[in-house]
Amino acid sequence: MKTTYLTTNEAIDPVFIFIFGASLVLLLGITAVMVYFVIRYRRSRSPEPTSTADGNLWLEIVWTVLPTLLVLAMFYYGWAGYLALRNVPEGAMEVNATARMWSWNFAYPGGRSGTKLYVPAGKPIKVNLTSVDVLHGFYIPAFRVKRDIVPGMTNHVWFTATKPGSYDIFCSSYCGTGHSAMITTVEALPEAEFAAWLKEGAAGEGAAHPGLALLEQHGCLGCHSTDGSLKIGPSFKNIWGRKTIVQSGAADRTITVDEAYLKRAIMEPNADVVKGFAPAMPPYQLKQDELNAMIGYLRGDTVAVAPKIDGKTLAQEKGCLACHSLDGSKGVGPTLKGLYGSQVKVTKGGKLLSITADAAFLKESIKEPGATVVEGYQPTMPPYPDLSDAEMNAVLKWLEELK
Amino acid sequence: MSITLQEQPTTDRGFWNDTGKTGIGSWIFSTDHKRIGLLYFYSVLGFFLVGVVLGLLLRLELMAPGRDLMSAQTYNALFTVHGVVMIFLFIIPGIPGAFGNMVMPIQIGAADVSFPRLNLFSWWLYVIGTVLVLLSLFTGGGAPDTGWTFYVPFSARTGTNVSLALFGVFILGFSSILTGLNFVTTIHRLRAEGMTWSRIPLFTWSLYATAWVQILATPILGITLVLVIAERMLGTGLFDAARGGDPIMFQHLFWIYSHPAVYIMILPAMGIISEIIPVFSRKPIFGYKMIAFSSLAIAAAGSLVWGHHMFTSGMSDTAVLVFSFLTFIVAIPSAIKVFNWVSTLYRGSISLDPPMLFALTFILLFSIGGLTGLILGAAATDVHVHDTYFVVGHFHYVMFGGTGFAFFAAMHYWLPKFYGRTYKTRPAVIAWGLMFVGFNLLYFSMKVLGMQGMPRRYYDYLPEFANLNMVATVGSWILAIGLVLMLVNLFKGLFKGAPFTGNPWGGATLEWSTPTPPPTLNFITEPVVTHGPYDYTALKHDVREADSGVTP
Repeated sequence: MKTTYLTTNEAIDPVFIFIFGASLVLLLGITAVMVYFVIRYRRSRSPEPTSTADGNLWLEIVWTVLPTLLVLAMFYYGWAGYLALRNVPEGAMEVNATARMWSWNFAYPGGRSGTKLYVPAGKPIKVNLTSVDVLHGFYIPAFRVKRDIVPGMTNHVWFTATKPGSYDIFCSSYCGTGHSAMITTVEALPEAEFAAWLKEGAAGEGAAHPGLALLEQHGCLGCHSTDGSLKIGPSFKNIWGRKTIVQSGAADRTITVDEAYLKRAIMEPNADVVKGFAPAMPPYQLKQDELNAMIGYLRGDTVAVAPKIDGKTLAQEKGCLACHSLDGSKGVGPTLKGLYGSQVKVTKGGKLLSITADAAFLKESIKEPGATVVEGYQPTMPPYPDLSDAEMNAVLKWLEELK
Repeated sequence: MSITLQEQPTTDRGFWNDTGKTGIGSWIFSTDHKRIGLLYFYSVLGFFLVGVVLGLLLRLELMAPGRDLMSAQTYNALFTVHGVVMIFLFIIPGIPGAFGNMVMPIQIGAADVSFPRLNLFSWWLYVIGTVLVLLSLFTGGGAPDTGWTFYVPFSARTGTNVSLALFGVFILGFSSILTGLNFVTTIHRLRAEGMTWSRIPLFTWSLYATAWVQILATPILGITLVLVIAERMLGTGLFDAARGGDPIMFQHLFWIYSHPAVYIMILPAMGIISEIIPVFSRKPIFGYKMIAFSSLAIAAAGSLVWGHHMFTSGMSDTAVLVFSFLTFIVAIPSAIKVFNWVSTLYRGSISLDPPMLFALTFILLFSIGGLTGLILGAAATDVHVHDTYFVVGHFHYVMFGGTGFAFFAAMHYWLPKFYGRTYKTRPAVIAWGLMFVGFNLLYFSMKVLGMQGMPRRYYDYLPEFANLNMVATVGSWILAIGLVLMLVNLFKGLFKGAPFTGNPWGGATLEWSTPTPPPTLNFITEPVVTHGPYDYTALKHDVREADSGVTP
């Protein structure tokens, strides 16, 4: 497929050819002259030197100026090609990539995410790169693109997969034990197929069980396989009830994998390390319901239970309780105690109204708090538009219980 | 270390016995630059061999995909230690510490360096730093697994014993700074009568340029490493984005030293080549001034190109533009040197003795390394090959094919002078052939692997990279066999070989005018220099064959 802009391959490959070509000519020239001189002026044939020349100004000028011109040309083409890598073509599709030790996550507009980078063939793709821990590198050899992924900043690359197919993605910046296992692929699909894939949404890959989805989302599957193959950590296949030798400190002991062990292994991975594996896993702080969902999957539960969200925990995490008390006292905002269903005086659009604090009102107050402000309080609350429906329902349910 | 001779050679034993002192104390507390040079020589050679063994183990693991003989953690520690040992314990102190110390004071007609005790102290700092680095491998959380570049945030978080290793390298830095200081002072102050700046041999010129880099750049590494230790122990957050720090700042600080350090490694090697080529061609070096000047130009411009290690890091595109440009500028003086060396051969009388063989090989391997460096200097192409085996191949061509082969050339060129005995030529040539073949199989495969996209520091790799990895591993075996043969032949010759006297190759620099081995104070009478270092017409032919012992 021909594009209206230069693809990364079209921008980079000619520079390789130019520099390699010029270098090869130089190398062969130098080597040939050297070998010729060594043979022609060998001591058996040329017992005494026939020249005592110790320099020549013109030669020095020539072999200073010519290489200078040559390397300046290389510099220029190198720079021009680099600019092509930096300037993302109009209309590129954006994907957000998150790198962690030692897995990838690619999130698409619309909520779909996964560990492989699905893209439509023939369209420019811009990948925004962030890291949650150490330096990583995003490298697709097939498209000649690479960029370091630095914690605390967002880098990007762009590329176009002109033909459908599967292309390797490597982590190029050393990141510890699992560095060489931090590989995945670009899956370039024909445009229609890609659109269908994107629409499948959460029903697609990796979402068979919420626990599995969580394992994938947190990058566990980068090191632990589900099919019994050996990666950096032990496989999850048939893990439940397995008798395993672990090292706790210096001592070995045999344990049976159960809920208590798995929880400890996730939150304090270095306490008991399965024998034969390096203590390489970072500790994870997970919510109780997420942990339960993961363990449910590992236990082999077939019933897909959606992770239960606790409204109170969520309110704490989102920082609601910094301004809204639970005991009836007045804070920066009104107390949440008994709020649900009560009559409140509010200012809406400059008018003072008295309304019932029902679910609809509370929902609006969370998503768009500036719209209706309770009398006697400042309109200082930030909006929380990103709560999912499940989260919103959990919060409302909890507020109702607070009556 | 025991350096004893089986039988007395025909000549006086020079600095080996003219002080009347014997035993280990006469070596490890000696202030004689030649003894200190030999101390360095055996120390760095020992660590070179350690590094070689580690490298062979790495290649063995990479022979086939999957786990071959070690775990990923062990592999990561091994490549880190391979890098640290080779760079900080072998190649940076190598040529200046060993051959710089042995040869440089004699080349300028001095009895010793300016500060002989400081010189001994530098070697002791090297030993202390080395001990700390080695301790870090077996204590605490185990051998560092960060790579020799110690990039944050990984180096700030890993549980391995990074802090102690960093402190060891910090101490090694002081050794390097003090050697640089000593050499600059010596070259300025202790030149013999008539040793004008334009008569200084090019090896000494290269050490002079190197010494300035050692003095100016090494402190930055020291500070950077201390900052990483502070990050680990005190949680200062200097390099932690979550606390307002910047991981990329570390990379800048690290390469501000570590790129000029590349020139600490290669400049003295170029100096050795500039000595050997004219001697074995019996012709003055072509473009003496340009070679001396290009050493200084490389040292100066080389200090401004560190950012080319960071084209993909996320620094600004303007920085990429500037660093790419400066990188190409620093390529020019290197090219000038190569052209001048090759021109020196023209209409000479060339003899392919082992030092010359290694020196000519340097030109070829360094050219391959340097030309592939152009790919890395151009911003567009660097992006594809950065952090791949292409880079690994590139710097092994420059550092091993360049500096390593120059080190071997120097061993065959100067060590007989200091031992008074010499090696056999034929095994040396066979060893050279094996090493040349093994070297190219090993490192050229790496370059191709890099072009195909195999990232570096990979414990395991995809099946498409398997064939070339196998070739590289086989190459490493051939290279190792050649290396062992070379060393056995050389040391057998130095300790038991035929006597080596006089000036058999016809060198015109001052070290060839002193008795063999040189006496403790180097010269019997203070030399007066009346000609340039490559002026062979001043040398009578018969002088070449006889033991001169007098100033030419």
